[in-house]
Formats: sequence, C-alpha cells, structure tokens
Amino acid sequence: MLKTLPQPLHFFFQSLGSSRVVGFANLLVMIVLIGLCGSGCASRQKSWDRIRASFYDDRLEIADSQLDEIASRSKSDRDVAKLNQAMIQLWSGHPKEAEKLLLQSRNLFHGLQGTALRDNLVSLATDETHREFVPEDYELVLLRAMLAFSNLVDDGEDVLAYAFQINQTQQELIRLRSSSNEAEQRQQVAQNPAQGGPRNDAHPKAKSEDAEKQLALGPYLYGLIREATCMNYDDAARGYARVVDWAPEFSQGPSDLARARNGVHSAPGRGVVYLFAMVGRGPYKAETVEIPTTQAMFFADRLLSVVGKHNLTPTVSPIKIAEVIQPHNPLDRILVQTPDGRWGQTEVISDLGALAVRQSEERRNEVVGRAVARRALKKAALYATKEATSSDGVTSLALDLVGMAWEASESADTRCWEFLPETVQVLRMELPVGRHRLTVQPAYGKNRLGNAESLTVNVQDGRNQYIMVNYPGMRRVGQVLQSSGH
Amino acid sequence: MNRRHFCRMTGLGLMGLSVLGCRGRQWSRVLDDDQADLVGSHTAGAETYNRLVDTAVARLLGREHEVLLSTSVESNVPGRRVCFVGVENRSAEEMGDFKEQVYEQIDASIASSGAFDTISRRYIEAGLRASHLRPDDLLTPNGQRAFQTAMERQGQTFDYLMYATLTSGTTVRNQEQQRDYLLTLELVNVQTGQFQKESATIRKGYHKTQIARLKSYQPFGSR
Repeated sequence: MLKTLPQPLHFFFQSLGSSRVVGFANLLVMIVLIGLCGSGCASRQKSWDRIRASFYDDRLEIADSQLDEIASRSKSDRDVAKLNQAMIQLWSGHPKEAEKLLLQSRNLFHGLQGTALRDNLVSLATDETHREFVPEDYELVLLRAMLAFSNLVDDGEDVLAYAFQINQTQQELIRLRSSSNEAEQRQQVAQNPAQGGPRNDAHPKAKSEDAEKQLALGPYLYGLIREATCMNYDDAARGYARVVDWAPEFSQGPSDLARARNGVHSAPGRGVVYLFAMVGRGPYKAETVEIPTTQAMFFADRLLSVVGKHNLTPTVSPIKIAEVIQPHNPLDRILVQTPDGRWGQTEVISDLGALAVRQSEERRNEVVGRAVARRALKKAALYATKEATSSDGVTSLALDLVGMAWEASESADTRCWEFLPETVQVLRMELPVGRHRLTVQPAYGKNRLGNAESLTVNVQDGRNQYIMVNYPGMRRVGQVLQSSGH
Repeated sequence: MNRRHFCRMTGLGLMGLSVLGCRGRQWSRVLDDDQADLVGSHTAGAETYNRLVDTAVARLLGREHEVLLSTSVESNVPGRRVCFVGVENRSAEEMGDFKEQVYEQIDASIASSGAFDTISRRYIEAGLRASHLRPDDLLTPNGQRAFQTAMERQGQTFDYLMYATLTSGTTVRNQEQQRDYLLTLELVNVQTGQFQKESATIRKGYHKTQIARLKSYQPFGSR
C-alpha cells in the first residue's frame, strides 16, 4: 500500500516507522482535511472563471452582479472586485460611475508600495490570500490612466489632475526602483570591489531593461493632454521623449516628439482624433505548484526530523504560487478607415501582457521565499508546541495532522485586475473640422477579422477628440466611448 | 517552558499582530501661515517655487516702477496690457502641478501690482488654439500678426508678451548634489521689440546619506 503513495508520503510513513493501521488512519484524515481546505480555493477559481466568461461574452450586467456576489462573500476579493467593476461600468457607458470606483481604489492603494506589517505577519501564519490586495507597479500607473480615460470620455474637468497623477506615480515608482537598484549596486560593489568605481547609471543594458518595465501609456496620455492646452508643449515633449525611450517600437512616438518640440498641435482648420483600443484578453493569475521547492522542503524536514527530538510536520502539500497567464489572442490590432478612404492601424503603446509576465517572473523568487518562510514558521510553531507540551505518540501524530492540514489550507494569491487588455493601442488622426465617419475592424496582421463597424466623430478646430473601444476578441465588448472635444 | 507560559506568550504574540500596521490611510494637517513649507526631498517644492516667484516678480515690478518714475514726468503711460504666454520648464525636473500654480501666482501678482493689466489665460489659450501657434512662434512677425488678429477678434489687444522660464544647473559630488533653480521673467514690448528680463535663483542641496547631510550642516557659517 505504501508503495502506491506519492514519493513524499512514502518517505514520510517510512520515516515515521508507523504501522499500516496508523498509516491508513493518517492518510484518510489527511485526505479529508486537504479536501476540505482545497475546496474553498477551487470554488473561488470557478467563480472567477464564470465572471471572466460573462465579461468576455459581453454580458456586463451579469458580470457586475457576479462581482457583487463575490465581494460580499469574500473580504479578500473586495478590492479587486471593485477594480474590475470599474471596468464594467466604463464599458457599459457609465464613465462617471467608473471614475467613482477607480477613485476609491486609488485612495485605497495610495502610497501603498508594499503591504502593511500586520498583513505580512498574518500571511505568514495563513497564506498569501490573507494579505490585502496590492496592485502591481504597472497597475498603479494604469489605475490613474483609466481615471484619465474615464474623465476624458465624461466631462474632462479633472483630466489635467489625473495627467499629473500618472506622471507623479510613475516618477515615484522609478525613484523607488532606482534607490533599490542603487542599494543592490552598492552591495555588489561591497562584495566585489574590483567591479566598483563611479556610478554606472548610463549603462545601456540597465537602461533598456528599466525602460521595458515602464508603462509608456502614462507619459503618452500626459503628453497629449498637455499638448492640447497649446501652452505646454515643453511638458508634452517631456512626455513623448519618455514614450520614445520606453516604447521604441511605437512608430508614432518620434513624430509626436518632433511635433511637441517644433510643430503645433494641428494645422489650421483641423483637429485631432485619438482612437484608443484595448486589444486582446489581458493577463490573469492562476495557481501553480512549485515542485522543486516542495521537494527540497520535504527532504529538509525529513533530515531535521531524524536529528531532532521531535518530528517536523512533513511537507505533504505542495507549495503553491500564482503564475501570470497571458492567453493567446486571435487579433493584434484595429484597422481604421479614415474619411479619405485610407486605412490606418492602431499601434501598441503598452503591452500589459508582457509587462505582467515579466514582473511576475521578477517577483517569483520573492513569492517562493515567502512561501518557504511561511512553511518554516508553521513547522517551527508546531515543533515548539510539541516541545512545550512534551508531546509524543498519538499527540505528536495529531499535531502532525493539524500541521499538514494547516499547510494544505494554503492557496496562492491569484487576485489581479482581470479585465485589462493584453495591449493598449492608439491611433492619432488629424482630420478636417466637421463630422466624419470612421470604420473600425479588428485584424491579425493583414488579415481582417470580425465585422467592420462605423463610428461618427465631430472634429473641432485645434482640439482633441477621444474614442475608446474594447476588443478582447474579434467582437467588441461594451460600448464605444467618445469624448466631447477637449 | 511550561504550558501556561507557552499559551500566554502565544496569546500576547497574536494580540501584537492584530494592532500592527494600517492600510490605505493617510493623515494630513493644515499648515499655519507662519509655519515653514515642507522641503522637497527629491525635487523642488513649495519652498523653492514660492520664493522664486516672489523674488522674480518683485524684481520685475521694481524695475518697472523705476521706469515709470523716470518717464511719468514726460508722458502719462496708459494701462499697459500684458499677455502672459506661459511658464516653460527647461529644468532637469518635472514641475508637475506646480507649473499651473507658478503661472497663476505670477499672473495674479502682476495683475494686482497696478503696473500692468493682464489678459485672462482663457483668452490666451483660445487665441493660441485658434491661430494654431506655439508660444514661441509669437515672436516671429507672421506668428505675432496671426496671434494679434486672433486676440483682437476676442477683443483682447496687448502691448507686451511675457514669458517665464525655469532652468536648472546641477553639481554632483559623490553622494550629494546641488541644484540651482533659476526663474526668469521676460517682458517683450510687441511694438518696439525691446525686452526686460529679471530672474531669481534658489540653490538647493540633496543628500543621499545622513552623513552627507550632516557634513553639509554648518552651524557657524561656511568657510
């Protein structure tokens, strides 16, 4: 019987030297406990799958009520539900409601570049889901960007404030990152003085790696909003210079920068239309098993059990961490036919999918480290209990079972801002003043997909007009959002 | 360790966890007029911009007052209208929301001085938008004509164009750096092309370590 068990369990019962009966009892209780603890996580996953399906099927009202339900059921999902509901409100054509929800989220996450100490300690005793939800760096910038979008397609009164906040948040994040990089550099120099010397900020590789982590949408929005004032071309140029630096593949960037430095917003008798397209299903998080760490942990606890006075709780439950999944999307751009009959196409200003995957990989060691620390703390707590209560025999076994159930109750933190697109894309069109009909159609490369749709825009002299569309797949989800001229 | 002691320690530990940390909260207070501004740790803030604006505007108005005194004997100077085109940031830092505030501070100070009349910013923005010009285009003959036409259509003629420019110079010494901020106000007479220029400077030190900060602290004055 023992031979049919998974390797960790097999080793465990061998090391216990227990009889077959004890082994069976042990296994049975453990399976029941693990099953009970794991069921909560599975049902949560199913709930989110249902919400995702509703959203991408354009059943926004249903997705909204499902989010209400999950928020009322689970406190830890409340904050993330609010972010996702803001997206639903926005695409349902209620930008004011979206702005209200986003403002609540912004205030909640303001200045929150890490979790509170209490969160960290509580999560050590439980799991990652007991930490308060903290958005990723790019999500913090995107939160302000979505506020700006919501305001732009509403009355546009606060858009300047949001533009400043986008810029400020990004600057703060860069500063935080550069101070941690400097600390790392100092540590490296201390460890290897031969590689020391003056600061190497201008190292091209370091710079390009840093630029890859930035959200070019932030400075782009800042730039175009400042440019539209016709008095702040210097600010616009700063914004566009960052776009060129952070998103060199964005081919509109250099012309935007040149215009801000030497040109004007638009030629006489013309205005500008910006079409922002949210293209493709965005990244989400799923639970995955960290096998090498689990095995290492298992062998470590078995070794310590042999040399120690008491058995350590055996590592039977695998260590779980969240992994970012970027689904493959059948479209990669939106084609736009302008009134003169020519076709243009949107270009990626920010690849959120790639950014999320990269940041998740960077944080992987930190997440695994926390999971290992959590396991070690739990094992140490039960070991201390055994020591304090002088447990042996049945009591010790019972404590092991409690420990295994405690460890099995861990879930990975898969909370994230789900309804973001894979890429945010934009097309700038300078058009003559008046009403125009535009045609939009999703595409993959040169292949047109889905149905073409017509939109009407009213171009005003020397002003910006904003259009937002959401294409997670070949079919548009939600409404087409349009601003009045700003 | 006996069981009672173990339970007590565990209980105390859990109580401690429950009171640590807070999330999404921030506290604020209203600063009294006599309280000093906060000093920006990474960039210029109120402590820099307010002083720059006060000094530069005072110098410009002081100079203008001298000119008025010397010319008023010969002729009565009519109300002169200034079109304040904007603040240009050429420094190494973002001004952020201060840029709008610096504009309003300068505009309000000039308007309340009595030496000049100013044109509402809304007219200026509308004029620039209607003429599709950049602020620096207004010094070219064609640009100036087009802008004046656009402003006249709104009933807003002007005699002077005013520009504010912020520049900076940075000196780095290991873990510390000094940044000099210079705010320049430029008043251009559109009839004659003559201009007046006044500026104000603030020097600021930034220190990356406590030791560097203490080293720069000189209670008995510098050598």
